[in-house]
Amino acid sequence: MRNSLRFGTLGSRIYSFFILFIFGTIIILQLVAFQFTISTVQNTTIESNKTLLGQLTRQIESYIEDMEHLSLAVIEAEEVQTYLRGEAPAPLPVYTKLIQKQLGTYLKAREDIKNIYFSDMVGNILSADASVEINQYADVLNSQWFTSAVDNPSETILSGSYVQNLITEDYSWVTSISRGIVSLDTGTLLGVLLVDLKFDGIKELCQSMVTGRKGYNFIIDDQGVYVFHPTQQLVYSGVKDEPLDEILESIHSGEDNTYSDGEKYYFINDSETTGWHMVSVLYEDDIITDWQYVQISFAAIGLILFLVVGLVTNRITRSITSPVKKLQKIMKSVDEGEFHLVGEIHATDEIKELAHDYDIMVTRIRELMHENVKEQELKRKSDLKALQAQINPHFLYNTLDSIIWMAEMKQHREVVLMTSALSKLMRISISKGREIIPIKDEVAHVESYLTIEEMRYKGKYDSEILIDPELYEEMTLKITLQPLVENAIYHGIKESDHKGLIQIIGTREKDTIVLKVIDNGNGMTPEKVKMLNSPYTVYEDDQPWVNLRGMGVRNVHERIQLYFGEEYGLHCESLLGVGTTITVRIPVRGGVR
Amino acid sequence: MKNWFVLLLSFMAALILFFVLTIFYEQSTPQKLELDTPIPIVLKSRMVEPMEFWDVVHRGIYEAAKEYGIDVKISGPLYEKEIDQQIEIVEAILNEHPPLLVLSATDYVKLVSTVEKADKMGIPVITIDSGVDSDIPVSFIATDNIAAGEKAGLELLRLLENKENPKIAIVSHIKEAASAIDREAGVRKALAGENIVGTWYCDVEEDRAYEITKELIDTYDLDGIVALNEVSSLGVARAVDEYQVKDALVVVAFDNAIRELAFLESGVIKATVVQRPYNMGYMTVKIAVDYLKGEDVPDFLDTQSVLITQENMFQREYQELLYPFSNAE
Repeated sequence: MRNSLRFGTLGSRIYSFFILFIFGTIIILQLVAFQFTISTVQNTTIESNKTLLGQLTRQIESYIEDMEHLSLAVIEAEEVQTYLRGEAPAPLPVYTKLIQKQLGTYLKAREDIKNIYFSDMVGNILSADASVEINQYADVLNSQWFTSAVDNPSETILSGSYVQNLITEDYSWVTSISRGIVSLDTGTLLGVLLVDLKFDGIKELCQSMVTGRKGYNFIIDDQGVYVFHPTQQLVYSGVKDEPLDEILESIHSGEDNTYSDGEKYYFINDSETTGWHMVSVLYEDDIITDWQYVQISFAAIGLILFLVVGLVTNRITRSITSPVKKLQKIMKSVDEGEFHLVGEIHATDEIKELAHDYDIMVTRIRELMHENVKEQELKRKSDLKALQAQINPHFLYNTLDSIIWMAEMKQHREVVLMTSALSKLMRISISKGREIIPIKDEVAHVESYLTIEEMRYKGKYDSEILIDPELYEEMTLKITLQPLVENAIYHGIKESDHKGLIQIIGTREKDTIVLKVIDNGNGMTPEKVKMLNSPYTVYEDDQPWVNLRGMGVRNVHERIQLYFGEEYGLHCESLLGVGTTITVRIPVRGGVR
Repeated sequence: MKNWFVLLLSFMAALILFFVLTIFYEQSTPQKLELDTPIPIVLKSRMVEPMEFWDVVHRGIYEAAKEYGIDVKISGPLYEKEIDQQIEIVEAILNEHPPLLVLSATDYVKLVSTVEKADKMGIPVITIDSGVDSDIPVSFIATDNIAAGEKAGLELLRLLENKENPKIAIVSHIKEAASAIDREAGVRKALAGENIVGTWYCDVEEDRAYEITKELIDTYDLDGIVALNEVSSLGVARAVDEYQVKDALVVVAFDNAIRELAFLESGVIKATVVQRPYNMGYMTVKIAVDYLKGEDVPDFLDTQSVLITQENMFQREYQELLYPFSNAE
């Protein structure tokens, strides 16, 4: 757990890298998608706004064109012409009523016409609506609709929006169409026709065809004078400002009829028939109104995406790292000297292969170690064999000296005895190369040795051999007892000033044969005994006591252990000045059952 | 345990991502003022004639409310003189803890305690057209009535420049209203040194103004009358028209009722000082929104007044001011 959180581990590295990477990727993706959504919505909105503006323009145009046709019909009406020529038959009010009735049908048919008037050349007004009172203060001759029509008698004059004051106390917003009334007979100008259109119609059109909460339309003429603006008061008093210069420039350049000041879009549509320019205003922040929704859904998508990818990454990371960790744990067992195999592992192919190769390697190491141990054993055995086969040359030439000396003394009987003992000793020593021999042979061997030594050290010690005869056929490692006896003589008895006794006792304890070599010589210090019994004592050649005492004994011990196992071998007990007992333990029947 | 920890980490990172994105989108979206409740606007009177001053104020209010995307709720007493009723209405509104209160005070003094109460409750107050005698309101949007009165006074002076020592009367609408006080002060400032015979109050009743004027014409040999609001102007003009003394008696009026304009056209009224009610309503909402957004707002915003005479009454730029589009609602 602690390890896995450190940045050094494979898992945390993969994980943190992925998290960072995904984090960045998602942010970039989201921003791009967000921008894309915005611009798409923007373009769609702009396009639909343009379409809407086109519709608005067409509707206004067709509306105005309708009115133009109507005005043409009126100016050519016989009664109007007659009236204006001053040729109306008396009584005049009756004729006036007739005209008013005729024009009144237009008023009834068209709700959107406020009123129809015509004026003669001195400014006398006749209204189609008979119920209204003409404002006596109205200055007809200086009105724009009048002067323009007089100046261009053959053209239809379209005014912008204005307040009509021709009727007393009725200041209505109108757009008017005026046209000179030319006599059909003489071609002289008789008067001016004025058709007042309720401005509400155009206003409602402009106000209904808007996009967004704040969007609006306005209309300007060629000079940049407002025909209509929904918040004219704010515009005229300077609270609001429209970029008229830029819009006019855009109109006159005839290029892209779109202008944007960053906050608002202005779409401009020119109307040929009316000479007006319809401008549609779209607020940037009206384009996407459900910002909150777009925002939250984008952020939520980001969150979900991140969680999903995060979890998947976590899964993948763990599927990589957990087998590696398992592998690592098993490999660690090598530190403790154990070689465990990985066996089956649930992982990717690479890891599986790695585990398999590791298993092969561990198996190989195990084999090698086994071989190594065996080789070592073999080597030691052969070393020891070589050692045991050597007969102490001192002993040999001492014995031969003794024989020579006895021969010179013509002690034939002794010569024969010693020579035959030596011969027997050597024969058993060789034993045709066998390692294991019957105990009786071993006893014979040690007897021969004792015979020779007794003849050499006459009266120095006594010896007795007390072996259970049942053991005679049991097998033992050859040259087991002789080194012990030699040790007893040379290091025990020889230094002692009293007559020594060496006892060799053989008994059986269950499945163990116990052979004891007991002497009553000098004995050893407890340290030496401890040293001798310790299984871990390492004998080094430069330690003098090793040479003096124990080398042979030690060899016997090691050989027994090599052949019969660790539980067998030698054990030494000794008291300084009292004597030494060395016990040999070997298995019955050579350990073979 | 390890799994749990990684999950937690992922989740935290995801939350961070969520907030980063949200903050980004928040910044890339326009700041809008979101209000749960409509802004209450208490005006002086609910008796609103089409195209009359307060009707146009309404339109300015609604236009701005639409533009800024907020709701407003307009209320007020039935008549301007019902001061106690306005106080009741305002206190009822205060109990609903609105985010802000817009008030047009019917009385310069009596509404002070109500405004103080709002202040104690932590509700900011913006006054429109008629203020109160207090520093509490965060902003006051109105015509500078002293300047407007001055304009009327100077025009009267110009029209009477041929007369020697002209006698002038002032017909005001209500004695305590701040607008009346300021306009009269402005008129008197412009007419300093002239012979002002006095100020009469019609209590916002046209007939009363009509009677007063008839009496004044009978009593004094007047050369000029300044009428300080729409109702008084109409009463004065009606009397002058009936007595047919429009050539001898110069009337300078206030406001732009349709009948006033007809009187202007016929010369009964020589000039009228017109406020910009549309702008007043519009700017009130704009300032309220600005204030709620935490922006700086002016203590006083003068929405200006315009002097209208026969010559400029049909000029394009004043047309909508004088003759508002009729079908706004």
